[in-house]
Amino acid sequence: MNKKDAFLTAIGDNQGLIFKVASVYTNSIEDRNDLMQEIIYQLWKSFDDFGQKSSLSTWMYRVAMNTAIYYLKLDKRKIKTFPLDEHFIDVKAMDNNEIEEKWQILKQHIDNLDLLDKGIVILYLENKSYEEIAQIIGISISNIGTKLSRIKGKLREKISKQL
Amino acid sequence: MELDNFKNTWDEMSNQVKVNQNLNLKIFDKMSKNQFHSSLKKIVLPEIIGSIACFGFAIYVGFNFGKLGTIAYQITGLISILLFVILPLISLMSIQGLYKSADISKSYADTLKEFTIQKIRFCKLQKLNFTLCYLLAVTVILLSTKLFGSNHITDSKYFFLVSYGAGYIILQFVSKWVFKGYNKTIQKTENLLQELSVYNAQAAKQ
Repeated sequence: MNKKDAFLTAIGDNQGLIFKVASVYTNSIEDRNDLMQEIIYQLWKSFDDFGQKSSLSTWMYRVAMNTAIYYLKLDKRKIKTFPLDEHFIDVKAMDNNEIEEKWQILKQHIDNLDLLDKGIVILYLENKSYEEIAQIIGISISNIGTKLSRIKGKLREKISKQL
Repeated sequence: MELDNFKNTWDEMSNQVKVNQNLNLKIFDKMSKNQFHSSLKKIVLPEIIGSIACFGFAIYVGFNFGKLGTIAYQITGLISILLFVILPLISLMSIQGLYKSADISKSYADTLKEFTIQKIRFCKLQKLNFTLCYLLAVTVILLSTKLFGSNHITDSKYFFLVSYGAGYIILQFVSKWVFKGYNKTIQKTENLLQELSVYNAQAAKQ
């Protein structure tokens, strides 16, 4: 399999990951699509350097989250993206109102977290182990445990108030 | 409600999106060049405008060659035409090198290396250009007395003293200002490449 095919397969297998990271770190469809484009571009640029020391999804999460943070830091001078055709990203309409409603609640509360906590929540929801989360975020495992229980408590309180 | 209760919602979201499988890698090529080149536009646009002006002046001197009269002035005219052609060519060549260093097939580290080589080349060629500009200024001031006809300004004994003095000061100021601006733009582009190179290399190694 050549580099292009391997990359496209990796993107295909992890498109949900890119979509969710981009959705959590942005607040509009346009920004989300720009960030998705930038994440895919950054993944492509560093695809050669991926040494398989970590799993593909761990590496993808790390690049995706770094890119998202970098994107937010750029903010005003904003990354210049290349206009893509409208079929680049195809988002299905939600056919389940309950899921849609829950997603909106989740997103609303994740939005209020700081960048580090956002990253931890994303990886926790993705069923990553504490060790993997620590590896991706770059802090100790015990710190992840402490932070996560604090975040959970905070979210529990806020979501309960809303429901 | 617990965060764990949202895990299903989170998983479900993965099924809501489909990135086009026919994604063409040419898009990345265009994106890369687009980002890289847009940061160099601050250098490219004035250089292109300057080049057009230089070619225009070369044509103007060529068309008015007959007015120069003596051989000394004609030689000066030829030198100025030559400089008006060489200066933009040097500029365009140096810019082309910077542009070419944006190669998507290479990693950021390689692009950065190539960019640094082209940056040094660009700076050397710009310095050569600024030096040649002094020579051009001498020829242009000499030719102006012939091309714009004899009048009370060019006939004045102070004309050459004032114009060469002012020309030298203006060139000194402009060349330093332009060079500083170019360096700033190049540094910004280099920093962008460096930052991206570092964080993606770190991400790949961890």
